[in-house]
This record gives sequence, C-alpha cells and structure tokens, in this order.
Amino acid sequence: MGSGISNVAFLEVRGIGQRFPGVVALKDVDLSIEIGKVHVLAGENGAGKSTLVKILVGTQDPTEGTIAIDGSNPLEHREMFDYVAYVPQEINLFPNMTVAENLFIPFNKTGAADWVIDHGKMFKAAEELIARFDISARPGQLVKDIPISDQQLLQIARAAARRRFKVLILDEPTSSLTSQEVERLFNIIRQLRADNHAVIFISHKMEEIFDLGDDVTVLRNGERVATRPLSGLTEPELIRLMSGEEVRMDQVFYPTTAPGETLLEVTGLSGYRFHDASFQLRAGEILGFAGLVGAGRSELMQTMFGYLKATAGHVKVAGKNWKLHDTSFSIAHGMLYLSEERRQHGILPFLSVRENIGISIFDRTVSLGTIFAGRERHIVSDIIKTYDIKTPSMEKQIMFLSGGNQQKAIIGRAMACHPKVLIFDEPTKGIDVRTKVEIYRIMKELAERGVGIILVSSDLVELRKCAGRILTMHSGSLGGEFLTKDTDNETLVRAILGAGEVRNVA
Amino acid sequence: MSRKNSILDLKSNPLAGVVAALVLIFIISCFLSKYFLTAFNMMIVARELAFIALITIGQSMLMVLGELDLSLGMISGLCGVIGGVLMVDQGWSPALAFLVCLVFGTLFGCINGVLVTQLKLPSLVLTIGMAGVYGGSNLVLTKGIAITGLPPEISILGRGQLLFLPVPFLILLPVLAAAAFVMFKTPFGRYMYAIGNNAVTAIMLGVKVDRVRIVVFAVAGLLASLAGMLMVARLGTAQPSIGESWVLPPIAAAVIGGVATTGGVGGPIGAVLGAVIIGIIENIIVLFGISPYWQSVVSGGVVVLAISFDSVSRRYFGRVG
Repeated sequence: MGSGISNVAFLEVRGIGQRFPGVVALKDVDLSIEIGKVHVLAGENGAGKSTLVKILVGTQDPTEGTIAIDGSNPLEHREMFDYVAYVPQEINLFPNMTVAENLFIPFNKTGAADWVIDHGKMFKAAEELIARFDISARPGQLVKDIPISDQQLLQIARAAARRRFKVLILDEPTSSLTSQEVERLFNIIRQLRADNHAVIFISHKMEEIFDLGDDVTVLRNGERVATRPLSGLTEPELIRLMSGEEVRMDQVFYPTTAPGETLLEVTGLSGYRFHDASFQLRAGEILGFAGLVGAGRSELMQTMFGYLKATAGHVKVAGKNWKLHDTSFSIAHGMLYLSEERRQHGILPFLSVRENIGISIFDRTVSLGTIFAGRERHIVSDIIKTYDIKTPSMEKQIMFLSGGNQQKAIIGRAMACHPKVLIFDEPTKGIDVRTKVEIYRIMKELAERGVGIILVSSDLVELRKCAGRILTMHSGSLGGEFLTKDTDNETLVRAILGAGEVRNVA
Repeated sequence: MSRKNSILDLKSNPLAGVVAALVLIFIISCFLSKYFLTAFNMMIVARELAFIALITIGQSMLMVLGELDLSLGMISGLCGVIGGVLMVDQGWSPALAFLVCLVFGTLFGCINGVLVTQLKLPSLVLTIGMAGVYGGSNLVLTKGIAITGLPPEISILGRGQLLFLPVPFLILLPVLAAAAFVMFKTPFGRYMYAIGNNAVTAIMLGVKVDRVRIVVFAVAGLLASLAGMLMVARLGTAQPSIGESWVLPPIAAAVIGGVATTGGVGGPIGAVLGAVIIGIIENIIVLFGISPYWQSVVSGGVVVLAISFDSVSRRYFGRVG
C-alpha cells in the first residue's frame, strides 16, 4: 500500500481496531489522508465505514491502534480532532436558527464570539462564506426556509467556518441533490482540494467516486482490502474489491411474465404538494416514477397509502374503492408503502429485529390474543434467512444494524404481509451495489408473482433497469408516460425538468 | 421487554439495574433498623406500596407510549370522593358505588386521551390543566371536607389481610400480571412499544395510533380510580386530599425501573420494582426516626441515587449504547 503516495499524510491511522461486545467492527485498518487529495472510502453497508469515521472525528475511541493528526496524537490532545470536520448524510442543522448562527456554532471554535454575539460582525463573516460556497441564502434567514440543497452546502460551509479545519469528511452528500446541484457541490469540493484541504468522500455511486476521487481505500467486513489510486482502477474492479465477488451491473430486472389486469386505478387525486394525478398500475408490473426531489412523488404515494390526506380524487384497487387516510386499512387490504426515510418511517429503533418484524406477522403468531414466542421466532428466523439480513441475533436492537440490513429487514417485514400493491420509495438510497442488486431481484420476483410494484427513484439508471413503464412528475403534476425501451435518457430528463425548462423545485 | 433471556443473565436483562438497587437498599435498611425486617413492618410496606404501584403501572404504560398523565392523582382523589358521596349521601351499595367509581376513572382517563389525540396537545401540558379540573371538581363536591360515615364493610378492601398479605397488595398482583401480559405478550402491547419508539413508523405499519393512546389513557384512569377507592377503604373516610402526593413518585418509580421518559423502552414490572424502592425508602425514614422536615430531602436524594445506580450499573454490565 501507499505506492504512488508521495506527500506526508496529515491524518494517519495505523492498525485501528474497534470491538464491541460480541462484534468486531474494525480490524487492523490503516488509512493515510493527504492534503490536496480527495480520498474515497468505499465499502458495502456494514463494512465499517461509519465506525472508522466516528474514530476519525473523535466521537469513538478505538480499542486498538494509533491515530496521528498533523503529527500529534489526538487521543491525548483532543483539540486536534477540531481539524477534522464531518458532514453527515442527513441534514443536521438547527432549523429554527439563522443561517449565520448555524455557520458559527459553537462560537468559541469559530472565533465568532466569546461571551456576547456581535450580530453585525457575524453576518458579515457569514456573507463571505455564503458567497464562497455558492449558497443562495441570506445570513438572517432561518435554515428551515432554505432549500435542501443549500442546507447541504451550508453544512459544508459550517465545517469550513471553524478556525482549525483541514480534513472534510463527506458521507453520501449527494443522495438528495439533483444533478446540477451535485455539480455545484463537486466544484466546491475541488476548490477545497486546491485550497490545501483534504477530503474524505464516502459514496456508493460509482460515477461520483471516479469523477471526484484521487485515491480509494476499500473496507470489507471491518478490514481494509486495498488502498489504490483511482486512476489505475476500473469500475468492475472496484465493485469486486468492495463485494469480494463479481456483481453484474449491466443486468436488467424486468419481470419476465406479462402484466395482468389493472390493479390500481388513481383518478384525479390531489393532496399536499401534488394535484390531479391519474394513472393505472397493472398486476405484475414495475411502474417507475421519475422526478426531481420535491416534485411531489413521495407525497402522492403517501396519500394513496393513507398517511397523508387527499383533498380530491379517488383510488381503486382491484376494482374496489379504497378508503383514504387510513394506513391500517391499506395494510390490512394489501397496499404497502416503504418510505425513503428508513430511520423516521421504517424502523422501531429500540426494539429488536424480532420485534420489528414480528409486528407485521400477528396473523400467524397470535392465538387467543397472545403472541406465541416460538412461532414468532420461527417465522422471523425464516425471514432473516430469506432476505439475508446480517445480524448477530434476532434479539439485537435494530438500530445497531447497518443501513442495508435495516432495509432488508423492512422489505422482509413488508413481504410477510403478502401485499398486492407495493410502493418502494427510493429503496436503494444509501445502499451498496450488491444489496441494490438483491433488492432489484426481490422486486422482479414479486412482480412475477403478480404483485403490482411502484418504484419511485431519482436514479434514472435504476428506473431503466427495473421499470418497463416510467411516469414523470414535475412540480406536483404528472407529466409524460414512457415505455422504457422506446425512450432515451434525454427525453426522460426533459420531462423530469418540466418540458426542457430548467427549474429548481426542491 | 419480552427478551428471551434468563433472569440471571445480568448483561442483557433490562431489570438487572433496578433489582440490584432494590437488593442493596433492602440490605442497608435491615442494618438501619431492627424493626425493618419484621412481618408486621413488611405487611405495612406491602400495603402502602399498592396505592402508588397501581398509579405507577398506569403511568409507566403511558410513558412507554411517550405520554405522561399528571392528573392521575387528582383522578384518584375525585373518584374517591364520588364514591363517598354515592355511598353516604345517596345510600348506594358499596359494590355498585365501587363499580361506578371505576367507570368514572376510566372516563376521566379517556377524556384526557381524547383531548391529547384530537387536539394534538402535548400530554404534559394538557394533563396539568386537567389536574386542575379534576382537583377543583373534588373541592366543589366536598368543599374540602372529608366525607365520613362510610359503610364499615368496605374497610376489608383497605385494611383486610389474607394469609398475612394485605388485600390492596393482593389486588395489585393480578393487575401487574395483567399489565405485563398485555405489554409483552399481545399485539396491543407491541403496538404500544411501536408508538413509543416512533409514532410515524407505527402509523406506516398500520397501527391505529390514536386508538391505542386513548385506551392506555383510559386504563391509567381506571387504575387511578382503583387506587383512590382502596385508599378510601383503608382510611374509612373519603378524604379530598387523597392522591395529592401521588403525582411525582410514580414517575420517579418508573424511571428507576428503566422506563424512559422519551418512550419505547421499559415495562410495568421494572416500574413497580421502582415503586418498591421508593416505598422502602419512605418506610425506613419513618423507622429511623428522621425529622419530618428532612423526610422529603432524604427520599428525594435517595431516588436520585437509585437512578444513578441504575444508569451506572447498566454501563458496567455493558449494554452497547
């Protein structure tokens, strides 16, 4: 390792290990981060990336190994961790505070104030940062009032506002951005790199990794598999390093059976952030929904499902009038919605994997009003096996599972309900390549068994691989309907952007 | 929680902390007073425990949901005096009066639940207001004067014994068993934990969240009225002040017993063990002859100690968190 790496590392870890009771999260990992480079941290969900990041920013002390930041040991001199800034995947700002306040909290670390806040001075400093990071917001605006993409950049600007700032860690920063916004973000990252900073970039998106990265370190099962310059690596090679096996990315996942009768019929449905939506879904079909973040796709789905209130229109499933605004009706009659927000809408964090899955299989575990523990364990262990959910035990609290395994548990739970209509909302957000393929395969198999599937995705490649028919949505209205095989990407993108007109609706 | 673990498996049993604290406090109490470990004193501890513990069961169920009802003590008091009025002024039979009081308690809890879910108010604030309404109604009904002349036969419910066990304690046991059964062994209980973990997820899973909440508020009200009526039976008079001191100890007991104020974890067994700790502390303070002025300082301090003990022991027994 380290061949072709010439500079002295600013941040260096050697032989890092992290054990939790019963689990080895990291084993003997080395990592060198140099100024002026973008270092990609790659690996499947659960490979140990987040644990490593926690160690690098000082929120978790490793059980083995050494860390050096600028030559000194941050475990003894904790202030050295101030050089490393972490920007999490989810927005992590104070929504009811101003842009300027968010930039400079904690005030002592940014030098913005000691005891009394000089708002004039702070706003001026904020303006400079806002301009430098190309954020369209005023220092006095509340964070909750600015678009998500600007919030994302604001998180990075906040890291840069600190007096000591050398290393920026970005965890999947593009998952809620449109392609133009991604370009804006990448320009800023390149600027930081040119400006004597180091960037650690975590992503599952191959094109981003190869577009932006200089070097890559690959983790698998808590161990470092390789550190290489990206220039000497191809995409299939990187995927093989991450997964330890060949994953074919050129496969398509269209159901091989012909679609059946019309299963779902939506007529003139209106609600929060969308209006007058009409479309049909046939049994055994995977129907794609394309659109920008904020186009109203999730809201439409959540309204059909009954989580949000409809203001007009109606829904029929298999010819039957659907009761709206009642999720328990939808679940009981076979319509399921798997939200893109796994943490907020999907898991019950403090409950075990068994209890999380068990809540949807009472029809088979309950007699005389009592849950039979043996039956529950039996069915749950089948689901864990079928969906390859990696967990040390079914009694493990689900919040300790990796994102991909949580997603598989959620899908496994949904399948156990035997749905007729299944809505996947961004099912592969934050999911590694191999698990993605598994999820596509599950969708395909379900469709072949006659389930009607809706796939909401911002990833055109994903939609083209799975959905035979794609609907586009823009600013709350359904746009065109396209047969995937007859449509090129350009046509789809134009429809997504609202007939070629470029507008930001986030 | 319904974990499949041996009681002896300290590392993962969520009750380990509270049991250890209880054993420690019990042993210390034995040394502090030679009267502590006598059959008579144990009987008193068990009897006094029952009232607070009934409230604690309801409160801990609400806390698992992420709710809190600060009017439970006032519901106890109001139901107690309603019972007094029915039996003394109206001449109703004790059995019927008891039943009607339990219905009232359920109704009051239900009102709280409906208001919380329909007006989407934080239960903490709403039930402070409702505590005023129920407490005030109590005074309107009694003008602050205790109702005397209750039929003597009801005293067996408060003061009676069976095989050396006080009747209120004997009533507590099946109630606790039923609560634990519902929470650990039935879909309804799983829904309660789901709501306390994440109400939005629960809705997405098709749980009728508002209905579960209202039912649990109603159950807590029912248990509060039961505690109130048992206290009337024990005192022999319907005191308007019954329940005034039952607001905070049950919450402290639940926290000691591992119920999180933020919801989703813990259960009624731990909470009642927490109530036992508080009961022992109050008992030993009396036995030890501490000045009444110092009593709440001492009992408050020991509660803080018990909570810290639980949290520290949890860290040592290594639950990853």
